[in-house]
Amino acid sequence: MDANPARVTFESASARAAGILAAMPLEQKIVKCPLCGWQGFRHADLIEHFTLEHPGCAAPVRVTLDVNGKLCELVIEPQMTLKEVLQFRLGLTGAKEMCNRGACGSCTVIMDGRPALSCNVLASECEGKRIETVEGIAVIPKWKPLIDAYCKWDAMQCGYCTPGFLVAAKALIDRNPSPAVDEINAALSGNICICGTYPRHAQAIIEAVEFMAAEYAGASERGDG
Amino acid sequence: MADLTGANGTREVFKVVGKPNLPGLTAYAMATGVAKFGSDFTAPGMLFAKILRSPYAHARVLAIDASAALAIPGVVDVVLWDDPVFKTVGPDPMAGKKPSFLLNEAHKEGQEVGAIVVAESEALCEEALGALKIEWEELPFIVDIIKGLDPALPAIRGPEYDESGTYGPPSITSEGYPWMATHYPDDPPKTGNVSRSTLAQGDIDAGWEEADWILEYDVNIHDVVSLLPNPQASVARWSGKNMYKPGETLRIEGAVGRRGMIAQMYGLPEDNVIQEGLFQGGKYCDWGLRMSQEITPLLSKKLGRPVRCCNTREENFDMCVNERHARVKLGVKNNGLITAVEDDTVVDHGAPNSSEMTTYDRDWNGYYTLKCENIVQKYTIVDSNRSFMYTCGQFVPYSFDMVTVGLYLIGEKLGIDPTEIARLNLHGPDSQKDTRPVPSFEACLEEGKRLMNWEWHPAGTKRLSDGRLHGAAFRYQMCPRHAFMKYFTKLEYRGGVVHFPTQGPIAGWFGTECFTMIAAEELGVGYEDICVDYDYRAQHTDEAGGSDGVTGHGWIVKECANILKRKILEAAAKEARVTTDRWGPVEAPKPPSPLTGCSADDLDIEDGKIFVKSDPSRFIPFSAATGDTLTAEYGGNSPKAAWSSHFGRKLDTMNTSWCEVAVDDETGEVEILKYLVVIDPGKVIRRTSLESQIDQVVYFSQGAQLLEEYILDPETGVRLNANMTDYRKPTTLDVPVVDKGVLETRAGNGAYGASGIAHNLANSHILITAIHNATGVWVDPPATPDRVIKALIPLAANESPRR
Repeated sequence: MDANPARVTFESASARAAGILAAMPLEQKIVKCPLCGWQGFRHADLIEHFTLEHPGCAAPVRVTLDVNGKLCELVIEPQMTLKEVLQFRLGLTGAKEMCNRGACGSCTVIMDGRPALSCNVLASECEGKRIETVEGIAVIPKWKPLIDAYCKWDAMQCGYCTPGFLVAAKALIDRNPSPAVDEINAALSGNICICGTYPRHAQAIIEAVEFMAAEYAGASERGDG
Repeated sequence: MADLTGANGTREVFKVVGKPNLPGLTAYAMATGVAKFGSDFTAPGMLFAKILRSPYAHARVLAIDASAALAIPGVVDVVLWDDPVFKTVGPDPMAGKKPSFLLNEAHKEGQEVGAIVVAESEALCEEALGALKIEWEELPFIVDIIKGLDPALPAIRGPEYDESGTYGPPSITSEGYPWMATHYPDDPPKTGNVSRSTLAQGDIDAGWEEADWILEYDVNIHDVVSLLPNPQASVARWSGKNMYKPGETLRIEGAVGRRGMIAQMYGLPEDNVIQEGLFQGGKYCDWGLRMSQEITPLLSKKLGRPVRCCNTREENFDMCVNERHARVKLGVKNNGLITAVEDDTVVDHGAPNSSEMTTYDRDWNGYYTLKCENIVQKYTIVDSNRSFMYTCGQFVPYSFDMVTVGLYLIGEKLGIDPTEIARLNLHGPDSQKDTRPVPSFEACLEEGKRLMNWEWHPAGTKRLSDGRLHGAAFRYQMCPRHAFMKYFTKLEYRGGVVHFPTQGPIAGWFGTECFTMIAAEELGVGYEDICVDYDYRAQHTDEAGGSDGVTGHGWIVKECANILKRKILEAAAKEARVTTDRWGPVEAPKPPSPLTGCSADDLDIEDGKIFVKSDPSRFIPFSAATGDTLTAEYGGNSPKAAWSSHFGRKLDTMNTSWCEVAVDDETGEVEILKYLVVIDPGKVIRRTSLESQIDQVVYFSQGAQLLEEYILDPETGVRLNANMTDYRKPTTLDVPVVDKGVLETRAGNGAYGASGIAHNLANSHILITAIHNATGVWVDPPATPDRVIKALIPLAANESPRR
């Protein structure tokens, strides 16, 4: 368990996210039996252990996930969702569970450029796909204006669903750098906020994309874009 | 009235308070996903726990054979309800009485009952639950509260939930009003599943005599689910070792803001309970803990490993509005003045230990805002197996919409704008006998009419150019302020910086931000100059109820900041008299201070500078006041708030809501054309979150009236849509633009004359009333297209509307 940060700035939150990403295991040096706690060094040993000790039980599988640009070789239980792997294996808790059936958008990640609901996807089916989480977005300076605008406009109250919205917003801006309010509302209609922040998201996104466009134009004029 | 007793309550110049767009203190943590909520915590080597849930509406577990579950590799333990270990857990001090922590009887489908399984993973927990061989005894249930009135039905609760002890005199406030009574001494004893209780004031017979005519109508409110966004979860680690303190130590994350309660349950000193997580999630006026947040310490202690228990959405589908059916009878004079009120309500009592506040509460009622003093509220409360209500939910209507509908219907009958009926009936600022206008109400009314271009029309008389029916409705309410508890604040000037220690929790109402703004305003520094130190051991808590930081707590912070300011000025004046700096044995002359020769009375602080009032060019930076550490503490009661002392009989800050709808009488679809809220929170502390909170309650009310329906199978009592796919909350595509008019009359008596808004904008009937104004028929909520069409059929057949 580790504690929450307090008195947070973009820089400190981004640094925290970077720390979380750095702590993601790239490989599992020890494989552990999820049923009895037996430990070994190789996936093959774990399979053998299952054959001998837990016949008839589904053995863990080995997957390589591309999360925020890092390839992570993991041994996971076959029924684990991407949301569960992100939290329990990779230590990423930005994707949140609210509805556990793909109805609320709180667990949104970006998979191969499209928003995806990580509570509804088996992790074992995510091999070969590029997965972006909110932590990965938080460490990219390009997205500071979006995060700034979210904070400036209180596009959050309790904050629980906010990362899901932010990830969906990033996916929208990726494919449409200057969305209109209607397009934003449509893109975020799969995200539920019980605290009623809905109009704040459009407000924040529009301010962010205008800022980003101006920055881009300025950078182009300066020749450093 | 107004903040006249405290320091600077009538301040006119604000540099920090009221400023929009100041980011929340932890907003970046929330936006970037690094904020951790209860379900986000993990611990090395942790086990997972799941609690058995009843598949029946009412059932008893007679026996459980756990051998097959325990034989599953990875299943660590199965703890049954009769395990002596539960005797080591004390009662949850905020929950109702129950014989034991885990019972073998479930009073609703989905309730925790009988067994807890612990395993190496959540999936194994599910498998173990499925492997339990359970002998159930199905018991009689009630999910239809009207049918539940039948005296022939068997009692669905045992004597352990006997309420006879509550048939006593109610608490009487120092102002002389009864408060929060569930029963009165003259109430008849409970019979079967039904309790009856009457609250009366004035002379109802005289009221009927005075009336020229009688208006009778029904207001039906359906139950609404609150849907706390985050799953209620905890992770606990019980440790026998403690480097710094004697005794055992518990670290629990997830029971945010309830560390003291957990300590009490487990007989630990509060100091031995560690809880560093701050983020509580959306839990507005839902003060209870779920079993998943309470049980992990016990399991961790028993098993010697950390344990996590996390509810699913389906397991966390708790009620926040309970079904009620009000039959209201008003005595009315020919000019529209109400002379008598009789409210005969049948209300769901829910499963045992549900919040009585949402069931019996009759005190915060719209009736007491009327000049009419002859009021009788008869409540018939039916025990049920429908759901459980934790105190007290986002949306406690306080029966206010019975008044909204009544005023509207009087206007309809007399052909008078309901806003004028409201104006006629609303009592004055000081009491129900006061006939003066309430300035805040008048201001909200006028501004609302202006912004709406308000033109009232009788029901069913206006069509839009596209052929749809047009309807409009209006509603008023009090702006509330909480002042129930004693509050405490500590501020410290240390190293040139003001520190504000608080334990949080961070729960969505931006309270600490408001308090920080108030402290900065009073200290003459910027919002960002106050260092908020989140520390679970701090006494100050964000949790004080209300909204916009204008609880009693905001006032206490203001007083504390002024104590610290005085100390800083005294220290700065003293420092200016010192002529040498000393370091060990060495003394060196010190440059003269610009403040030399001044006393504290000669100085003030503004814009981060301590300056001489008579010559502002003489100043030092705020951070250079002194090298000493200065501490200010202030605690106690804030001034009483009208809302929480007179329950409507005294009126200071008010609000009005307005809406226009279009109803398609061919498809039944309802579109909100305009929604306006004009509020007078007294004084805006933090504008951005105040506006967001208005949106929140409007969307909540919209969902309740147009979309949300909690469906139980009458044959089995089982919930049919306890999930977010089938139970529809509003999305970005559903909600209207909420126009806002924010007035500042400074009429409240929180800091600077502030009150809040909190729940009281939430309502069950403004849209329903507007639909009636459009169509001339009542559609009970939720007014889904099929229900609207069904209600319109009698009209099409030239039958009279139902009401």
